[in-house]
Amino acid sequence: MSAATTSRAGAPRTARRAPWPGRAGHGFVAAYVLLLIAFGVVPTVYALYFAFTSVDNRFSGLSNFATAARDFRYLPAVGHVALYLVFWLASLVVFVVALALLLHRLSARGVSKALRFLYYIPGALAGAASVMVWLFLLDPTVSPASFLLRALGYDTFGQVVAPGHLPILFTLIAFWTGAGGWIVVMFGALNNIPHDIIEAARIDGAGAWQTARRIQIPLLRKWIVYMTILAFAGGTQLFVEPQLLAQASVGVAGRDYSLNQLSYDFAFQNNDVNTAAAISVELLVIGLVVAALFVARSGFFDAD
Amino acid sequence: MPTDTRGGAATAPFAAAAGSAPADRVHPRRAAPRRLPNPLAAAVLALFLVFFVLPVLWLVLAATKSDDQLVHGNPLSFGSWHALRANWDALTGYQGDAIFQWLRNSALYSFFALVITLCVAIPAGYALAMTEFRGRRTLLIATLVVMLMPNATLVVPLFLEINAVHLIGSMWSIILPYSFYPFGVYLTYIYFNTAVPRDLLDAARLDGCSEFGTFRRVALPLAAPIVALVGFFSFVANWTNYFLPYVLLPQSDQFPVQVGLGTLLDDVPQFNPTVGTLAVQRPELALATLLAITPVLVVFLFSQRYLVAGMLAGSTKD
Amino acid sequence: MKAKFSAVGAVARGRGRRAGVLAAGSVLALAAVAACGGNGNSGGGSGAANGFKPAAQTGGTLTVWVDSTRLAAAQLYQKQHPEVKMDIVTYDGDANGSNYLQTKVSLFNRTRGGWPDVVFSSQNNETSWAVPAGFTAPLNKGLIPQSTLAGWATGANDPCTVNGTLYCLRNDLSQTVLWYNQKLMKQWAYQVPTTWEQYQALGQKVATEHPGYLVGDAGDTFAPEIYLWAGKCGANQITGPKAVTVNTTSANCTKMATLLDTLIKNKTISLSSVFSSDFDKNNADKILMLPGPAWYGGALFQGTFKTPAGQVAVAPMPQWSGDTTPSVGNVGGGTWLLSAHSADLKAATAFLTWVTTADDYQGKLAPGYPAFAAAAKTWLAGQASSGYYAGDIAAPLQAAANQVWSGWGYGQFSQEAIWAATVSPGLNAGKSLVSLLPAWQSAIVNYAHSDGYQVSTS
Repeated sequence: MSAATTSRAGAPRTARRAPWPGRAGHGFVAAYVLLLIAFGVVPTVYALYFAFTSVDNRFSGLSNFATAARDFRYLPAVGHVALYLVFWLASLVVFVVALALLLHRLSARGVSKALRFLYYIPGALAGAASVMVWLFLLDPTVSPASFLLRALGYDTFGQVVAPGHLPILFTLIAFWTGAGGWIVVMFGALNNIPHDIIEAARIDGAGAWQTARRIQIPLLRKWIVYMTILAFAGGTQLFVEPQLLAQASVGVAGRDYSLNQLSYDFAFQNNDVNTAAAISVELLVIGLVVAALFVARSGFFDAD
Repeated sequence: MPTDTRGGAATAPFAAAAGSAPADRVHPRRAAPRRLPNPLAAAVLALFLVFFVLPVLWLVLAATKSDDQLVHGNPLSFGSWHALRANWDALTGYQGDAIFQWLRNSALYSFFALVITLCVAIPAGYALAMTEFRGRRTLLIATLVVMLMPNATLVVPLFLEINAVHLIGSMWSIILPYSFYPFGVYLTYIYFNTAVPRDLLDAARLDGCSEFGTFRRVALPLAAPIVALVGFFSFVANWTNYFLPYVLLPQSDQFPVQVGLGTLLDDVPQFNPTVGTLAVQRPELALATLLAITPVLVVFLFSQRYLVAGMLAGSTKD
Repeated sequence: MKAKFSAVGAVARGRGRRAGVLAAGSVLALAAVAACGGNGNSGGGSGAANGFKPAAQTGGTLTVWVDSTRLAAAQLYQKQHPEVKMDIVTYDGDANGSNYLQTKVSLFNRTRGGWPDVVFSSQNNETSWAVPAGFTAPLNKGLIPQSTLAGWATGANDPCTVNGTLYCLRNDLSQTVLWYNQKLMKQWAYQVPTTWEQYQALGQKVATEHPGYLVGDAGDTFAPEIYLWAGKCGANQITGPKAVTVNTTSANCTKMATLLDTLIKNKTISLSSVFSSDFDKNNADKILMLPGPAWYGGALFQGTFKTPAGQVAVAPMPQWSGDTTPSVGNVGGGTWLLSAHSADLKAATAFLTWVTTADDYQGKLAPGYPAFAAAAKTWLAGQASSGYYAGDIAAPLQAAANQVWSGWGYGQFSQEAIWAATVSPGLNAGKSLVSLLPAWQSAIVNYAHSDGYQVSTS
């Protein structure tokens, strides 16, 4: 924000915040805090409680974590998720920012707007809605992209969903549904960079690349950090995509693929909420560590 | 005294960027405005256009085919109006008019949740970004922690909680959890944090506005883009939510359309070989999917109008 | 005092530490709250219902959960019995491993209320969790007379029986038979094989004389149930409520696997799922024979493949020559469960009995082969009168209904999911089934272990 303000003012700001009694802030957040406690904090704390207790509600230390780690699906799932994260994070950060910048540079407003809409459409196709799409898309016999699949040497659905391809497939699916929304967010953020800054840079001779690298991307920093934190946590919690592909392939690909799926299995197949919670807590901790790193590095929480 | 450092420090990256760019590389040739689209950029945009749209186009066409045509015809061919009609009739005949019931339910849940979300998240994000109060940082952290928690295990506590307040079976058992939308709070927080100059608020305050008055008269009018954004994402998140209503709702006539789609999917023999003969055909499922996503797309188009450029710049230009 | 130099590393690091401490602090505080708020739910369903104690019989609405295929049954009952107050709920019938029923019941067990009275499930293994969870009522201890129960096909209710107590009723059977195209058989002057040896020989003949035609399919997750179950391969011998014997490398298993490998190699057995677009497009009109369950006739040949009437016929499953005890496999078939918590056991039992035995539904409306033998007769007569099939389908189906090999059970783990995840990718990658049998074995053992089973491997 401050970039916008100062540039306009052209000189260091002198405006000082009026003394700001805490009451008002509390008033503004009161309703949110209520919902946060009811539907965020209490269930999370409950889950933490589950993770450290046994079925009969006795404190059980780390034994639930041990149960999870001993499961034969645990280590493979860790590997799967780690590999997927690499593809997912890289593709999301690079392509979303790049596409938002490209769209933002389009001089034809109408085209940019239409493209953002078209890029977004898959975002509406969540969960069950897209099972059918992927079943057909990945089957060389009936796929509209069959030329591509055949060019890659795959003639049957079974070959396409071979275990080695899964990280790429999940990345494709997740990117297809998720990127459009983030592009809209980034585009909106780019809009908030005042025109005159970009214009000034251009007059000074900065090309598109330099404008992006030196002005736009730094000013998008908080948005990118936010996206990365959520994308990382979302990636570690990989669930929808493998579940979807498992459904489309009737179980051949994607079952028991990720840690979160394992957690679901424990919770709803084995009725073992405690071990499920242990896995969730592990994912939470990983997400938090990464979030804390990013938050610390970026000044994300600063009210400036 | 935090105030003064604030402006200066956060500007630093920008100042450096803006200052060094022209100093480092001066390309006078580039100074002329270029209006022709860069062919490489155009190619990238077009490639992604195909990637995002082709499957959707296929889905739209699938709804116009018979199940036979779907398998044997060209993937990107139009079936027939007749087949579309037949699919429509079959779909609307499924379990009475279940599909419309599902859509109504989804609309109801999403709309109420949307209203509550906006009333709750916008002020909260605003306060987190623009005011200083005790517990602000804790609140930000708690929000983030809660957001990062995988929801597999949250369902059980949520169910117990909702049961404890005797809301099982009520539509509020869905609407209230939907209304808790930390993602939106953060969006608002970052928006006010990065896009709305604090001088404006200070000016208003000096003019004698109350805290609430400042929010209502100054911040809220500037918040149109973020209201649109949060509203849109909240609506979509609720509209497409599957697991929560799936677990919480006891009656099938309360199901929203996503759960309904799951039911339909499980009636398609290709996904569930055990269904026998009274099955749903895949083109009907495609049509149902299109019906289910239409509201999301309409809301997107509607909210996109408010995400236009210059709204903010115009209001603060001096 | 909060430093705001966002880009300065040192400060940022300091802030990170503080954030961490704060986070930890708040977690602790929250944990304290939880300790107070943790209402002592008594770990729902930990005690299995040994002696069945019915809930207070207060009557009220009869809540019935069905999948959409079985919706017709519940609606018909309501129409015939308008005096019964029914609440019919459709759910996905636990298909695709959604575990809806199990999830809901475990939640209901925690809140001690909300259970449905009667439930249909499209899975046969529900007792594996529903009995320990105390959800199902014992049916053969006074609720349903033995004379009625005797009317089910032999072994049909095996999946419902735990230690001699019956906990559910089988809806339909999916015994396997040999589906074949009578027109092609006659045209090419082939004999319908009665032994697996003849079956394999015919497959080899077809490969050379009519390449492209199929004698079977092994691309589905239920392939092991069609071939290996019928071949008495002991991959899934459920010997007790939490005990299983797994031996996928026995002679019976390798014999059948070798047969499959031979025919997969000469391409007379396809590796595409019979429900895939690939199969529909390229193989559906090239089926000479197709071993498979009873429902293949209506769902596949008539519904999906649209094979013309008068071609599809049924023969008994081939057997190994010299085997005197014919055996077939089974692919699916749902079950009905009665809630032990029902407040109106009488009404619930009446509905349960009607829906599983009545000719009006099972005989005339049901899409699958009824598990109740008398209804099956009516059902078969209806199928015959449709004129779709070539020749008599009733005799082989009825015979097969009583020949399902009892050595294959229903554990909590899904054999189909295990096959799909471990064997299918290998087959697709060109490995032989025989070489995959050990991997299949260890996968079954692993899954059984994590579901708490005692596993024996000999």
